[in-house]
Amino acid sequence: MAKNYEFTPEDLQEIEIIKAKFPEVMPATLPTLWVAQRRFGHVEPEVQHLVAETLGLPVSHVHGVATFYTQYYKEKMGKYVLDICTTTSCQLCGGYDMLHYLENKLGIKAGETTKDGMFSIQSVECLGACGYAPMMQITNDVYVNNLTEEKLDAVIESLKEGKIPEFEPVGMPQHENRS
Amino acid sequence: MPEIFIDGERYEFEGKPKLLQFILDNGKEVPFFCYHPEMSAPANCRQCYVKVGTPVQNRENGEYELDEDGKRVIRWFPKMQTSCSTEITDGMVVLTQETSEEVARAQKDTMELILINHPLDCPICDQAGECPLQIQTYKYGPEGSRFEVKKVHKPKRVELGPRVTLDAERCINCTRCVRFTEEISGTHQLTISSRGDKNYPITAPGMEFDDPYSVNTVDICPVGALTSTDFRFKARVWEMNQTPSIDITGGKGTNVDLWVRDNIVMRLTPRFNAEVNSHWMPDAARDAYKLFNENRVSRPTIKVDGDNQVKTSWNNALETFAETLEGVKPKDVLVIGSAHASVEENYSLMKVFSTWGVNDYYFVPDVKEEFGDDFLLTDDQAPNTNGVKALGFTAQSTDEIKAAIKSAKVVVLLDGTFIDREVISSKDIKKPYVINLATNQTETSIAADLVIPITCIAEHAASYVNVDGRIQRSFPAKETKYTHRKLDLEMSEGRLDRHGTNFDNWVNEDNKIDCTPVWEFMNDLSKRLGLNSEFGISREIMDEIASSVSAFDGVSYERMDNENGIQLTGISKEEVSA
Repeated sequence: MAKNYEFTPEDLQEIEIIKAKFPEVMPATLPTLWVAQRRFGHVEPEVQHLVAETLGLPVSHVHGVATFYTQYYKEKMGKYVLDICTTTSCQLCGGYDMLHYLENKLGIKAGETTKDGMFSIQSVECLGACGYAPMMQITNDVYVNNLTEEKLDAVIESLKEGKIPEFEPVGMPQHENRS
Repeated sequence: MPEIFIDGERYEFEGKPKLLQFILDNGKEVPFFCYHPEMSAPANCRQCYVKVGTPVQNRENGEYELDEDGKRVIRWFPKMQTSCSTEITDGMVVLTQETSEEVARAQKDTMELILINHPLDCPICDQAGECPLQIQTYKYGPEGSRFEVKKVHKPKRVELGPRVTLDAERCINCTRCVRFTEEISGTHQLTISSRGDKNYPITAPGMEFDDPYSVNTVDICPVGALTSTDFRFKARVWEMNQTPSIDITGGKGTNVDLWVRDNIVMRLTPRFNAEVNSHWMPDAARDAYKLFNENRVSRPTIKVDGDNQVKTSWNNALETFAETLEGVKPKDVLVIGSAHASVEENYSLMKVFSTWGVNDYYFVPDVKEEFGDDFLLTDDQAPNTNGVKALGFTAQSTDEIKAAIKSAKVVVLLDGTFIDREVISSKDIKKPYVINLATNQTETSIAADLVIPITCIAEHAASYVNVDGRIQRSFPAKETKYTHRKLDLEMSEGRLDRHGTNFDNWVNEDNKIDCTPVWEFMNDLSKRLGLNSEFGISREIMDEIASSVSAFDGVSYERMDNENGIQLTGISKEEVSA
């Protein structure tokens, strides 16, 4: 089944290193799925078959693991996946406004991908950064805090140029007072 | 001996049993869904909660600490425990829902959570009537639901494979089916997809659930999520009679139950036998019900005007049979038994013909090479190969039997699958007069000159010896034209039989086959021929076999019933060859 996808020799080497870390093969499923997602940008059913074949595990097991975690993309996604938090704190501080602004700006709805394959938007549950609401996460990686419309414009522009925003340290209020 | 106190009663135990199994083994009850005695206990349904405590022990001298009343001080576990995964220890004190309000409440609340997204479509659900969720909700569950918002919707009518259909909304994610494919059948075809309230069992994308044992997951599913594609919507559980029987499609002798409604076998399910099949049966064996219902030979048929078969009366059939034999010498008659027929049938055939003067008895084993596995499927396709051998029938190769048929004038054939499984072709039996005792309309019965319809395993009580030399017996499950549930003491009565009469419009005669057990026909034949051999019912025939054939020493229906089948001594593991 895994005809269209193949791991590079470097990937396979990395998977061997992962496998060596565990007494059994099964726990290597999670990190190997990450290797696959990094390589192909998603873990579609075909990629799940490839992972299962590479590890010598039942496909059903890999499928079960891949579907359990929302961070694995089970379908093709844009180059940058923008996860806008819409749970309580962000919701109160304008998370939905940010989501809708982004939807209008990119011309897609949450859960969709732009035609050029650059951006996907997802409305997600709490990412644990309630102090800096509203916020979003870019492709399971960098958090962008204290979102405003201007800030979103800037982020999109820089992403279009291939620049991922840097991690912004957010100081604690009590620390600010002390200095 | 170590002891445990359950609901204030003292029990002794050995080894390290799990609490739930121990409670069940001692005739008490705790509700549960995900636990299955043959599989691991993941404790994920959380239904079997009990309150558990252990006595406080002095660390220095190992003595139990006592309170003012002289009773042991019990240190209760901080939370309730799932009894399925709790190992029993010495002195443990357990409170179940019977004595603890708290446990009863915990179980009720767990049940309420399980039922939140369950559709409660029992009126249209196949599982209703044999559904652990339904039964236990009645017994231990809440009276109504406090859940007023929309339930989570999931895929319905998913064809997981050729034989199993999934309704994901009904699933309570006990993972019994997933564990079955991992631990019992070993195909690893199922997994739980997604998480939280969206999860349900599914195959990997692009894969089919075509496990040769797949329908067992339907049997162990504690709700109506997995249903048998074949049996879906065919009958309600309470309309059917359940009769114990034996699988006839293989040599393993898998214990089954036949489910009969209005004399039609609706389905087969496995019956627990620790020595043979545990809780399981292969999917292939479940199709056997078609053999019992469809294409049956009803009323004797006889060939007239060349190859035209016509129905005839029993008297005429008997007369023709007897006259044919009277026209030839015993040495011209070839008697062929069958591994597909029971011990009693083969024995009665053999006995009448021995009295008449035939010396040699043959059969051809039905073996498919490479068909078996290490589990319940066997190369041997017949249920009674060891039984016929033990009676004194000689196994023949196809060439040997062809040569024997060539030199015979009359062939008496108990096996109805001879031409169908290509032992011989219809040309080979052109010359001799062929009398076929058959259950089903087959190529073989069509080629025969005289066909005597006989009862199949669903219609008689008879015994079969499996590949491991274990003798087990069947019970009649459906009536023939000449039997009646109330009069035939081997038969079980069902709800409709107790409430209906022959004049009720839901009872009809159409599904009863006009056939007779081999031993009854042989009885008539021996009387007609003036031979001195008589048979009673199959129970008495087995007593006769037990006293005359050494391999069956000590075998009786009572023993088979009490011991769930008897291991025959002197029959080694079968060496079958085609």
